[in-house]
Amino acid sequence: MATLKKIYSDLDLTFTRNPVTGDVSMSYDEQSVIRSVRNLLMTNFYERPFQPTLGSNLNAFLFEQISAITASSIETEIKNVVNNFEPRVSIDNVEVVAIEDANAFYVNLSFYIGNNTSPSEVNILLERTR
Amino acid sequence: MASANSNVQMTGLDFQDIKSNMIRFMQGQDTFKDYNFSGSGLSVLMDILAYNTQYNAYYLNMVANEMFLDTALQRSSVVSQSKVLGYIPKSSISPTATINVTVYGVTQSSLTLDKFTPLISRAIDGVNYTFLTDDTLTVNTQSGTALFENVIIKQGTPSKYSFVVSTASNPKCIFEIPDVNIDTSSLTVSIQQSSVNTNTEVFQLATTHLTLDGTSKVYFLQEGLSGNYEVYFGNGVLGQKLMDGNIVRVSYISTKGTAAHGANNFSLIQGIGGYANTTIVSVTAATNGNEKETIESIKYQAPKSFSSQNRAVTKDDYITVIQQNQLGLTFDAVNVWGGEENDVPVFGQVFICLKPAGAYNITETQKQRLIQEVIKPISVMTVSPTIVNPDYTYLKLNINVIYDPNKTTQTSAQIESGIKSAIYGFANATLNTFNSTFNSYELMKTVQDYSNSIITSEYDLKLQKKFFPSLVTPSTYKLYYNTPLDKGMFLSGVSSSPSIQFRDPSNLVNIIDGIYVEELPSPTNGVESISMLNPGSQYQSVPTITILGDGTGAKAHAILSGGSIKNVVIDAAGSGYTAAIVNITPQPGDTTGKLAAGVVNLQGKFGTLRTYYNNTSQVKTTFNQNVGVIDYMNGIITLNSFSPIGIDNPLGQFTVTVKPTTSIISSSYNRIITIDPYDANAVTVNVIAKS
Repeated sequence: MATLKKIYSDLDLTFTRNPVTGDVSMSYDEQSVIRSVRNLLMTNFYERPFQPTLGSNLNAFLFEQISAITASSIETEIKNVVNNFEPRVSIDNVEVVAIEDANAFYVNLSFYIGNNTSPSEVNILLERTR
Repeated sequence: MASANSNVQMTGLDFQDIKSNMIRFMQGQDTFKDYNFSGSGLSVLMDILAYNTQYNAYYLNMVANEMFLDTALQRSSVVSQSKVLGYIPKSSISPTATINVTVYGVTQSSLTLDKFTPLISRAIDGVNYTFLTDDTLTVNTQSGTALFENVIIKQGTPSKYSFVVSTASNPKCIFEIPDVNIDTSSLTVSIQQSSVNTNTEVFQLATTHLTLDGTSKVYFLQEGLSGNYEVYFGNGVLGQKLMDGNIVRVSYISTKGTAAHGANNFSLIQGIGGYANTTIVSVTAATNGNEKETIESIKYQAPKSFSSQNRAVTKDDYITVIQQNQLGLTFDAVNVWGGEENDVPVFGQVFICLKPAGAYNITETQKQRLIQEVIKPISVMTVSPTIVNPDYTYLKLNINVIYDPNKTTQTSAQIESGIKSAIYGFANATLNTFNSTFNSYELMKTVQDYSNSIITSEYDLKLQKKFFPSLVTPSTYKLYYNTPLDKGMFLSGVSSSPSIQFRDPSNLVNIIDGIYVEELPSPTNGVESISMLNPGSQYQSVPTITILGDGTGAKAHAILSGGSIKNVVIDAAGSGYTAAIVNITPQPGDTTGKLAAGVVNLQGKFGTLRTYYNNTSQVKTTFNQNVGVIDYMNGIITLNSFSPIGIDNPLGQFTVTVKPTTSIISSSYNRIITIDPYDANAVTVNVIAKS
């Protein structure tokens, strides 16, 4: 995979230490963008101060009926949030699968970063914890 | 576009400003490049930091606001700032009424009316209010009857609290009285030695600190952070210090403030000294109450109180100390002026005019208490204060309104009552105080703004003076309207109401009822001037001027210039004219002079007032040809030796109505212009629908 070199650099929100320098660890380029997309998906409306529309309301969908219709709504929601808030990314494909038995949705999002020709992927299992 | 910056600007107060400042800072480095993307970890961190910064900035801003009297919003902050200025915010004040109580069938030689004896008023807006006697009174019984005269009663219910002094649990010995409705002027603080030793002493409110020492039995009062009043005591240097185990007892009246204004017709809840056969007569209805001082009022009063330094020297000092009196008197308006400003200067005196809340005048006792207890202790020794009553001039307004019924859903009666209340609101806002001016434009705007449906409106203004003539002694009354008055014409001159009774001078046993005062155009009027309507032309010689009318003796001559009459000079004013015309006749032989015309102006600075009644045949009959004088120029009516023996008004009030020549009416010194809220005819509104 051709990798873009350090165009993007970001803090890693896990705040782990770099084992060599002891400094806070960072993420770069593709990794940085993937984490950003992941952050957007995991952010709910009204979570960030003074930016009520930032994020996707995925939490709310977990309390809906597990069905193909809900899965389709989640798919739309994901497309909206990424298109609105992550300009570095163009979506290749969003796949949301309702797993009725596990009471969960499997989300597979593949997208292109900038002019990169090979897609990157984010895989999340959305599941209620209560 | 803003350039990158190596320093973080922390000047913004808004979240967005703070965040943009951070982004500008991030632009100056290249370690983290994702600051502009909402989903990045850096953006999440910047949001948290910006929110925290904004929160602190807002908090600090509010803290700074609350630190100054001008900007503080919280009551506790304003009160705390005013404490530095030595100002105690005023509490609610109980409305006060006066009654006479008669107790019948008393077998003892004297009878005592206890302090805080409860009475109940007749309902106001469906609520009966409890009133309490102000003090303990004892009178001697006469023929089995005990009469308590001019008993002062205050609205409220008695309350009391007691606190045990304990430096362990309350080291500052500050005792909060948990009642927002307390009237602090009724507060009594007494200290009992201990639960075993019941020796009790009454402590006084400390008003000055100059005379205090370690044994002074005083308490201090302040408003606490919770908005309740707090009582605290001396530290052994300024005021006596309390000991552990002392019991602080406070008793006071808890009042409903102005809600009970106007209460009268009281009845006792229980008998007096076991005697239930009592009658109560109201002398004055409840007035002079007030609500707890507002934040705005504290902000206004506290700096003024501080600047007067508890001394009455300047005009504002007097106004401030009177407004802040601890006697429980409240005033809508206070005006003060030096005696040297009077029409007849009086040096060495300060004149004070007071408009009490909810009443017209304060009583003589209240005046004496104000002078002796409030003003004298802090005024300059050689200046003598004099309290004068306000001189009220009442406006009587007749408003005509034409409205379009298609533009409103209101009936004409609704419009009428709506306009009336708007006018009373206008009067409360712009009149009713000293140094005010009646603004006819504002009045018409008030009427016009009431509804879009009003097409046009007009007003007719009259002025009234109201007084209480003596029914025993013939007296002279001077009524100052302070504006020029219209000379009498039909239905627009001086009139009086209600009807009065006089004894028939020809037979003193007879009483004549239904007598009124009216204006009599002066019978001694002469001609003052002649105004030319047309100077005429081509007069060859001076024409003859002849004045024709119901009087005699007026003479005048013309002055000719270029064949026209330039002027007419009065040679003799004559007398007895009520109407006159002028004839201008060319001399015999003058064949060309023509067209000159003029009009006669009659004299009349003064008029006479007379009384009349309708006799048994309903014929208008003059009762007394001359009861007084009307000075039109200065607006003064004088009633000489006015001696009615009865007035058809339950209060004995007599009203004299006049029409001013101008609608610009101003007040100064002790004069107040107002619309009488107790007179149903003070404002009449005629509403006519446009057909």
